Amino acid sequence: METNETSSATKTPNATGEPGVNASRFEVVKRGFPLAMLVLLIVIFSIASPRFLTFSNLLIVLQQGTVLLVAALGMTFVIMAGSIDLSVGSIVALAALATALTADSLGAAAIIPAIAVGAVAGLVNGVLLAKGKVPSFIATMGAMVVYRGIVLLFTRGAPVSIEDEQFLDVYTNRTLGIPHSVIIGLVLMVIAYGIINRTVFGREVRAIGGGERVAILTGIQVARVKVYMYVLLGALCGIAGLLQGARAMAATAQLGEGLELDVIAAVVVGGTPLTGGVGSVVGTMLGVLIITLLSNGMNMAGVDPYLQNIVKGTVLVCAVFVTIDRKKIGIIK
Amino acid sequence: MTLAASDLSKSYGQTRAVDGVSVVLRPGMVHAIVGENGAGKSTTLRMLAGAERPDSGVMTLDEASYAPPSVIGAAALGVSLVYQEITINRSLTVAENIFIDRLRQFAGPIGLIDRRRMEAAAQTILERISAQISVSADTGRLNLGELKCIEIARALSTNPKILLLDESTAYLDHREVQAVLRVISELKGQGMTVAFVSHHLDEVLAVADELTILKDGQYVGTYRTTEIEPNEIHRRMVGRELARSIYPPRPRDTGKPVVFEACDVAVGRELGGVSLNVHAGEILGLAGLKGAGAEALFAAICGDLPLRGGSMKLAGGSYAPSSPTSAWGQGVAYLPGDRHNEGLIADFSILDNLVMARPPHHGPFFHRTAAIAIAGDLIAQIGIKTHSVDASCRSLSGGNLQKVVIGKCLAVQPRLLLLNNPTRGVDIGARTEIYRIVRQKAAQGLAVILSSEDMPELIGMSDRLLVLRQGQITHRIETAADATEHDIIGHMA
Repeated sequence: METNETSSATKTPNATGEPGVNASRFEVVKRGFPLAMLVLLIVIFSIASPRFLTFSNLLIVLQQGTVLLVAALGMTFVIMAGSIDLSVGSIVALAALATALTADSLGAAAIIPAIAVGAVAGLVNGVLLAKGKVPSFIATMGAMVVYRGIVLLFTRGAPVSIEDEQFLDVYTNRTLGIPHSVIIGLVLMVIAYGIINRTVFGREVRAIGGGERVAILTGIQVARVKVYMYVLLGALCGIAGLLQGARAMAATAQLGEGLELDVIAAVVVGGTPLTGGVGSVVGTMLGVLIITLLSNGMNMAGVDPYLQNIVKGTVLVCAVFVTIDRKKIGIIK
Repeated sequence: MTLAASDLSKSYGQTRAVDGVSVVLRPGMVHAIVGENGAGKSTTLRMLAGAERPDSGVMTLDEASYAPPSVIGAAALGVSLVYQEITINRSLTVAENIFIDRLRQFAGPIGLIDRRRMEAAAQTILERISAQISVSADTGRLNLGELKCIEIARALSTNPKILLLDESTAYLDHREVQAVLRVISELKGQGMTVAFVSHHLDEVLAVADELTILKDGQYVGTYRTTEIEPNEIHRRMVGRELARSIYPPRPRDTGKPVVFEACDVAVGRELGGVSLNVHAGEILGLAGLKGAGAEALFAAICGDLPLRGGSMKLAGGSYAPSSPTSAWGQGVAYLPGDRHNEGLIADFSILDNLVMARPPHHGPFFHRTAAIAIAGDLIAQIGIKTHSVDASCRSLSGGNLQKVVIGKCLAVQPRLLLLNNPTRGVDIGARTEIYRIVRQKAAQGLAVILSSEDMPELIGMSDRLLVLRQGQITHRIETAADATEHDIIGHMA
C-alpha cells in the first residue's frame, strides 16, 4: 500500500474509535513485518558470526543485492498489476551478453545496448500478453526458455569476457567507498518510488491490479500500460545484466539462472502481494535485503550449504503467511 | 414449528448492526423483514439461520432453546438458509449443486456416486417448487432466477420446516423475481414457514402474511400485511414522511440539440438494428428484460464491443469508439451494472476511484492537490458520506459506493452518461440523492441513457422511454410520465 503510505500513516491514528481498530493495529504489524524480519536476521547473524556486521561485509551484501534490487524494482510494477514475469533471469543474461559484446568498442556507453536489449525483450513479452492475450505466466515462461536459448546459441556455452578498462572503472569502482553499482541501484530505486507513487502511470498500473475490468471500463489504456510496464522491467533487467556482467567481468550462459525466483521472492517478502493492486518500493528493497542477507549470513555463520535452501524457502513462506491479506483474496489458489 | 427470537443484538467492531430485534416466525406463515440498507435485515436473518451468533438475546424453536452453532447445525434442526449471493458452482450439474455437501449419501458400495438416484432425488425437490429445470441441465446456461431456484432446492433438500431467504431478489430481473415469488407461494401452500429479507415492497405485499420493519438496526414493529399501507411501511422504514415522489420533477423544455444518435446499430447476437437519439438535457429510458439488448447497446456506445452494423453520431460528428478509452475521451461516461466487478475498486480509496477516469496531472505526474479538490467537490455535490477522501471504499455502504461510481463518471464532465441499473441494491435514501444529482446534471445539459429493471424508476426518471425485446425496439413512449408498468411489461415479454 505504498501509494497510500503517507495517507495511511495519518489515517491509522484517526481510526481510533472507529470499527476495526484492532484490524488496523494488525495492519501495522503486517506493514512492519519485513523491517522487523530484517532486524531479526541482522541480530541473529551478528551473534552467529563476528565478521557479519562489518563494513566490508555489508558492502558485499549491498553489491550482491544490487542486481536483485534493480530487477525487483521492475518486478514490483508487474506484480502490482497482477501479472508476473518469469523471464527476468534470461533477460539479465541477454543484456549481460550485449554488454560484453559491446563493452570493448563502446566502453561505459555499453549501457545503451544493455538497456535496449532488455527493453526489446520486455516489449516482446508485453505485446505477447497484452495484445496477444497469452497469460503472463505462460508467455514469460516461454520467453524465459527462448531468451536463455538465444544466449546459449550465441555463446555456445563459452563465457564472453569484459576487459575494457574504462567500462570496468565506471561500473565497478568506488566513490567515497561506495561501489558505483550500489549508487546506480539507489538512484533507480528513487526513480521507481517516484513512478509508483507520483505518476499517473503508477496509478494506472495499480488500478489494473486492483480490478482490470474496472480499469478497462473506466477508459484506462490497459494494454498499453501493460506493454510499458514490461518494457520498464526489461530495461531495468538490462541494467541489472550490465551490473552483473561488470561484477563477473564476463557474460556467461548461466548468468542470472534462477534469478526470477529470487526477484519474485524479494517483491513478495517485501509485502507486495501476487494478487495485485498494491505495491511498495521500500518493501521491495527490504525484501531484497532479506533475501541477500539470508544467503550471506548463512554463509558467514557457516550454515551447511545443503541446508540453506530449506531455510530460504521456509522464510519465504513464513513472510507471506504473515503479510498476506486474506480478506482481499477470499479464495487462495 | 415456531421460531421466536427476542431482543437479538449483534455488533461488528463498534458498529451495532442489530440492536434489540425481536421476530416470531409462525408455522405456515410467510414473514418479510424489510428496511433500508444497513437496517440489520440480513444480519437478523443470518442469526436465525446460525450463520452469525448474536451477542445477546434469546432464540427458541418450539419453546426449546435454540442456539445453532452453524448453518449446518441449524439445518439439522429444520431451519435452512438461502444465501443472498448466488453460490451455484457453474461447473457442476444441477443435481450435484443441490446435494453438493451431501454427495456421500448417494455413494454406492465402492464409493462411486449413484447419479440416477441423486438425479431422481433432485428432480423430486425441483418438482416440489414447480421449477421447470432439468436436473442434468448445464448450470452455465441457466439464468439468475433459475439459479436462485436451485439454491432454494438445495435449502429444501435438508427437509427444513422453516426456510430463510436472504435478499433473494436483489439481482434478479422482473421475470425472475416473479419466478421466485411463485416458489414462495408454492411452499406456503405446502405449509412451509418462510422468512425473507427484501428491499422491494411490491414483492413483500404480494406474498408475505406478516412483516417486520427494522430501521438502523432497531426493531420498529411487526404488522400483518393486510393491515398496513405501503406508504406507512415506507414511512416507518425511513423514519420520515416520504415526499410525494422520490423522483425529481422533469423540466419541460424541448428543442435542445441531439447529443447522441444511433442509426440501425447492431451488436453481437444480442442487438439487431436499433435506432435512437438522445438530446442534451434529456433522460432516455431503456426498458427490457436481461439480454434484450440494452447491455449490448451500452457496451457498443462505451467502446467495449464493436458494432456489427449501423453507425453512431456524437454531437453531430461521426462516433466510432475503438475502446472505452476513446469513449471516455470523447465525453461518454459509463456506469456499469455490476458495481463490484466493473464499477469501482473497493480496495482503493474514494479519491482513487473518483479520479480514475481522468486523473489530474502535471505532465506525467499525478496532481494530488487538484485531485483532492475535485474529489471534495464531488463528495459534497453527490452527498457521499465519508470522513476522508482517503477512506477505503470497503468502508462504504452499497448506496454510498454507487455514489462514488456516479462521481467517477461526473468527474470527466461527460456530455453523455450511460446508466446501467444505477440503483440496484441501493437503499431509498441514497436512491433519492442519485435521482436528484442525475436530474440536476441533465438540467445542465447532460444527455443520459438509463437502462433499468426497476419499472417505477424508469417511469419516474425518464423523459422518453424505449422498450427493447430480443434486440429490437418494440415500443416508443414519447412521454414517460404517462406510461404504465403494465403497458411497458406488455412490450417486454
